Amino acid sequence: MSKLLETLIGGLSQGGVYALIALGYTMVYGIAKMLNFAHGDIIMVGGYTIMVFFYQTGMPIVALLAAIVVCIAVGLLTERLAYRPLRGASPLAVLITAIGVSSLLQSLTQLIFGTASSMVIVNTFGTIKIGSLVVEVSTLITLFSAAAVMLALTLFVNKTKTGKAMLAVSEDQGAAKLMGIGVNRVIAITFAVGSALAALAGYFSLLKSPSVSITMGSLPGIKAFTAAVIGGIGSIPGAMLGGILLGVIETACNAAGLANWTLAIEFAVLIVILLVRPTGLLGKKRREKV
Amino acid sequence: MNKKSFFRSATLVLAGAAAASCFASCSKKEKAPEFSADTINIGASGPLTGGASIYGTAVYNGATMAILEINEAGGLNGTKLAFEMYDDQHKTENVANGYAAMKDKGMQVSLGCVTSAPCLEYIKNAEKDGLFFLTPSASADKVATYENAFQMCFADSNQGAAAAKLYNANDKAEFGERNIGVLYKSDDDYSTGIYETFMSGFSAEEQAAIKKASFTSDDGDSPDFSTHISALKGCDFIFMPIYYTPASQFIQKAKTTAAFSDSTIYFGCDGFDGIQSMKGFNVEDYPQEISYLSHFNSNATEGAAGEFVKKYKEKYGAETLNQFGASAYDSVYALYDAMKTASEAGKKIDGSTSVSDMTAALKGVFSSARFSFNGVTGQNVQWNADGTVIKNAIRYKVNHNV
Repeated sequence: MSKLLETLIGGLSQGGVYALIALGYTMVYGIAKMLNFAHGDIIMVGGYTIMVFFYQTGMPIVALLAAIVVCIAVGLLTERLAYRPLRGASPLAVLITAIGVSSLLQSLTQLIFGTASSMVIVNTFGTIKIGSLVVEVSTLITLFSAAAVMLALTLFVNKTKTGKAMLAVSEDQGAAKLMGIGVNRVIAITFAVGSALAALAGYFSLLKSPSVSITMGSLPGIKAFTAAVIGGIGSIPGAMLGGILLGVIETACNAAGLANWTLAIEFAVLIVILLVRPTGLLGKKRREKV
Repeated sequence: MNKKSFFRSATLVLAGAAAASCFASCSKKEKAPEFSADTINIGASGPLTGGASIYGTAVYNGATMAILEINEAGGLNGTKLAFEMYDDQHKTENVANGYAAMKDKGMQVSLGCVTSAPCLEYIKNAEKDGLFFLTPSASADKVATYENAFQMCFADSNQGAAAAKLYNANDKAEFGERNIGVLYKSDDDYSTGIYETFMSGFSAEEQAAIKKASFTSDDGDSPDFSTHISALKGCDFIFMPIYYTPASQFIQKAKTTAAFSDSTIYFGCDGFDGIQSMKGFNVEDYPQEISYLSHFNSNATEGAAGEFVKKYKEKYGAETLNQFGASAYDSVYALYDAMKTASEAGKKIDGSTSVSDMTAALKGVFSSARFSFNGVTGQNVQWNADGTVIKNAIRYKVNHNV
């Protein structure tokens, strides 16, 4: 029983991290209608920024704040330099550009920091015992912070003016423009929010496994993208649900001794869900008007 | 600021950043002569970028150092040696292109691949030309099954078996009676190769008592080791035939959860080399002993190894100082010694020697019982006819090494 609970908590926490990343994919897709495949590398940028500032100051919170600022800056810069000039271009051109940005970020990081991976032990919280339950404190912190951030994001999107502008742009860009919403500004804000979430995800992944490498964002990026598709790409609650589902499946597979099957099971789930619901769990059906 | 000037300044800033970072990292690189018609051309393939780059860079540095020394001393009867290495990023799919490029440029002999999995692909290419290579570090057993491949490092089976032998030697005098656990990477030839031969060094009952846990590359650069740690609970000798990056993650994770007793020993193979110079990972922070089976002591201050350590640190710093570099240094010297032996026996070895003549000459020397090499990674080093090396291993303690 306690083993089951431990697995569930681990899965929820892992799922929270995936959800944070998936939100970046899904918001950018919903609002700018593009797949930002460089999103995973923003996590990596966050990881390296945390490393630099943590080594300099020794204070995790300063490093985390710095990572959020740097990630937002990098997100905005890539949006301004690479994606905005392509607004209205064919989706394929944007997709290839995003892959290019991903390589650029990896290569620049490699030029600056070299290729060897480094350890960054930001925080060690130890474990906590509740009855027969043994949980890592960092897992709980990840779980609750991710939940809080997602709650804040939901409030932001649904209650604030900027959030409503985002929803409007995702609904119909042309109409939003006619209503006087600055589409470019809204898209830039979306990138900023997504990048800040990626920085957070970078910090949480360092809590889980304390090392940075050039490709540290690739696999979480792919998994989070899968999560976004499972939940219905473009849907914010969908990204959260998909992320959590994926995290729980992954942890459950590992705990059941099926570690080698994890990816296969995850993608099988993806295929089944897409067969039953082609737009993902919470994706909106869009009727094409003829 | 108008639109154009914004872009121009942004481009300038980016270009400036790229150039500045290159000055920081590119300036120190020392280069061996490039291939030409009148040099003896030694090729190699290895990761100079990517997660395994520390190994490739070390091999590049070690080999370059040896080549420059040999050339300084006059080369092989006046013919200079040339050395080039292709960056395969430790990826099998990159190997064929690199091999073809080197072949076109006139490669006559090679150090093969730095890492095991790409090396097996390298062999498929080398086989067609009958190219001879002496690899400093590709330790997979399958490497030596290619008739023209020789190894400077221990073959995996020799590492796994040697570790088991070391553990069992003299009534377990080396480590004492312990509960053994193994952590390995199940989709990696290097890791499973060592794992299997390690296990076969134990009786069936002992094997059943050994706890096992494995992960795969699907777990990404930062696997979550918590399930592996609980699978290995209670062990106090943890054999880890994996590279040091995941090993350090495992050890750190085990520390946060206080999973293993302080008297536990983490014991690895040559993939652990470099763990002591990993940024952010201080081996002295861990109460448990971290050690590995090796053929080179990077703390050496005396003898051939000590001299190499001093020279290497002066030229390239300590960050990439590991047995891969030492082994590459030895490999180049062993090739040179063998070429010298062959030319003393009347074979013509220079820039015009064909690949097949070179292979015949070198293979003859290396498999001869009379050829023995003294280097940084061992004295009186000899080779079996199948290409595996015969030399003594050492247990190398990484921490608490006072």
